[in-house]
Amino acid sequence: MFKTNRNLIVSASVAVSVALLTAGCLEGGATPSDNNSLSKASIDGGVSYPLVNGKTSVYLVNEQNVGMKINNGRAPTENELKAWDKDVMPDGTGLPEGEGSVEEGEELYEAKCVMCHGDFGSGGGGYPSLSKGNAVDLQKTLVNQRNTPDADGPVRVFGSYWPKASTMWWYIKDGMPHTKSKTLTDDETYALAAYMLNINEMSIDGEEVDDEYVLNREKFLKIKMPNRDGFIPNIDGPNGPENVRKFYANPNNFGAQKVANPAERCMTNCQDKTAKVVHIQNGGITDFEPPISVKRDLPKKEASDMGFNVMANYENNCMPCHGADGMGAPVMGDKDAWGDVISKGMTAVYKNGLNGINGMPAKGGASVSDDEFKLLVDYMIDHSK
Amino acid sequence: MGNNKSQKDLEISTRRDFFKKTAALGVTALAGTSLAASQDDPAIMHHVPWGQKWGDPVTKNRYGIPSAYEHNNTRRNTKLLASGNYRASIAVTPIHESEGIITPNGLFFSRCHGGTAQVDPAEYRLMIHGLVDKPIVLTLDQLKRYPSVTRTHFIECPANGGQEWRGPQFNSLQFSKGFMASAQWTGVYIKTILDDLGLKPSAKWMLAEGSDNSEMGRSVPVEKILDDAMIVWGQNGEALRPEQGYPVRLLLPGWEGNLCVKWLKRLEFADEPWYAKEETSKYTALKPGGKAIQHFYANEVNSTVVSPSPEKPWTDLKAGDVVEIEGLAWSGMGTITLVDLSFDGGKTYKEASLKGLVLPKSWTRWSYMYTIPKDFQENGKQILLTSRAMDDAGYIQPTIDQETDVMGVESVYHRNGVETWEVTSTGKVNHVQVRTPGGVKNV
Repeated sequence: MFKTNRNLIVSASVAVSVALLTAGCLEGGATPSDNNSLSKASIDGGVSYPLVNGKTSVYLVNEQNVGMKINNGRAPTENELKAWDKDVMPDGTGLPEGEGSVEEGEELYEAKCVMCHGDFGSGGGGYPSLSKGNAVDLQKTLVNQRNTPDADGPVRVFGSYWPKASTMWWYIKDGMPHTKSKTLTDDETYALAAYMLNINEMSIDGEEVDDEYVLNREKFLKIKMPNRDGFIPNIDGPNGPENVRKFYANPNNFGAQKVANPAERCMTNCQDKTAKVVHIQNGGITDFEPPISVKRDLPKKEASDMGFNVMANYENNCMPCHGADGMGAPVMGDKDAWGDVISKGMTAVYKNGLNGINGMPAKGGASVSDDEFKLLVDYMIDHSK
Repeated sequence: MGNNKSQKDLEISTRRDFFKKTAALGVTALAGTSLAASQDDPAIMHHVPWGQKWGDPVTKNRYGIPSAYEHNNTRRNTKLLASGNYRASIAVTPIHESEGIITPNGLFFSRCHGGTAQVDPAEYRLMIHGLVDKPIVLTLDQLKRYPSVTRTHFIECPANGGQEWRGPQFNSLQFSKGFMASAQWTGVYIKTILDDLGLKPSAKWMLAEGSDNSEMGRSVPVEKILDDAMIVWGQNGEALRPEQGYPVRLLLPGWEGNLCVKWLKRLEFADEPWYAKEETSKYTALKPGGKAIQHFYANEVNSTVVSPSPEKPWTDLKAGDVVEIEGLAWSGMGTITLVDLSFDGGKTYKEASLKGLVLPKSWTRWSYMYTIPKDFQENGKQILLTSRAMDDAGYIQPTIDQETDVMGVESVYHRNGVETWEVTSTGKVNHVQVRTPGGVKNV
């Protein structure tokens, strides 16, 4: 069956190149009338290079293997398939049974998530926000454009933007918590999913996901995301790939420009009359690490302890949680908070940090030696006296 | 060169200046008279330190590293893109130092969603299952037993330039265009493996999933898999670097870097797409009407001037000097057919020359020989260098206005409008954009 399938595709590609050549000479690519010929083009709107005379484009192709059965590897066992096939699809394929409440979710969130995602999913420290308020209301901000300096932008968080809830469950289970992924049980994942729905002020089947709500598989599959119709092209169902092909056959859909004949491309008066030279405002972004330099000299030794750049490592590894309020970690400079920490004795402080404590992963997730880690602890304590 | 010039001044004066000034005095040289001793270059007149002592033994640096003097040629990062303690983050390629159409492996841009995984190749397994007649598990050695192919392709993060939809922000080529790099990849066409496994006709999509902390996954249409999709293990003649997915990554030539899943562990075929996190929450392009484009695969035709650039200005040049303006062009939708260069910010264009290998879905070098005008001005205005590429699919880079008219300024991804360098009267180079301020027509 596959062979037939592939032959069909190959012959279709040849037809496409011919169609493109003809279309290219006759008319512009951007007109809707092209839909018939262009609908057969590559799914991404570009060209493909079918095998012609043993070559694809300029590359020679070894065809000796065609038709040879290369028996390689082995069949996976049932258990191996179960162990790895953990994805969750929108129709519920892969979503296990389980149950979790908003209350349990909040507890888990406070213990394992808040240090990065902030109170009630507000974000912070460079980590994504999980909520900005009511999902249905915020979905309406997606039409916003910051084309004036004081305009509000669109809010793209789980509740307001994501088309499917399954994505969230799957990602929490597979990718979270970020420093210790794949450690949550199915029930814990349901609890965190319930909390996500709660902080995004969402409802399931008309019922508000309030603080008492208990989520399970059956209810989860009834979630309707506010922005479920917000994405183009439609990729679902048997016509999904064809819809994608049709979408990219029209450059107007994605801001592209096509010229049928290179000789007809614009060579004069190619800018709008209203276009001006716009410079970088307020100095732009310049916090590059390391700073831009094209000098060809010998590197300077960094002024640091043991050849270890304490400040840079603090900024990379500690600051996201210890640099701002609301992350659950003692903030550098907060004498009281660090006073409490130090009162346990430095042996305990180092040990807790090296092994991880509460929401903090071992060494804060930093790739540093134990001695280097202690320098980072000392640095924060020195700045909190 | 006057007598009052110190040796230090001499050392920092450029080779170009040296030769030019020497040439100006060439009349005497032609007459058979040598230049004054004060004009002698100490780099020539003195024995250099490395010429009078043993160099390093060949036993040093068994895996070679660049000259210590090249220490500034590195990937760089910025706090703007520091998410997840630099574990869901990016370090970008120094395009301004790039040569040819290949990026050295150590400079290839590095993007991850849960940190760079360090995979033990002995424990590496690839599982291929779902709508295939014969699901399999492969070790790394078994994977490499398939007939291999080698292809040169760039990989570009679709957010390359995505911080500058509303205006220029980075006075730097590295940060404006460095979310990409190019390499010669070695691996196997997935269609070759599928010839053996047998793909069921109902298969329309493939999930590619990484083994890293974030378990990065994306849905790919089967059509691409049966065209030129590869599973690769080789990068510029050696194993992939960890930052590029060692030991194995997916390569979808021309398509979003994010789709080229690293630390690849699993391919599953199904009749519906998966809606993975990085194909919904991110890597979707929001348009002014409030609808977002999903499954935005190919990186569109694009180009940049590499030399000069904000990092490599023309401050050592002056009127009458002849210089090569050089750049890169690339398209994920085909092969570069031509590049035009403008000196007035994209109002008028002249055709540049392509040079070297012109390969599909690859970086392509282009060149334009230029005589520096007085005060770096053309027709009384500062030079505004704008490049514009075209590919064999017929796509040509839009103006910023043309692109934002359709896409608005909030889409983050897939920005390929023409970019401009402004050359100041001293030869400094600044990143600017030529656009209608605030203009988004389709709001």
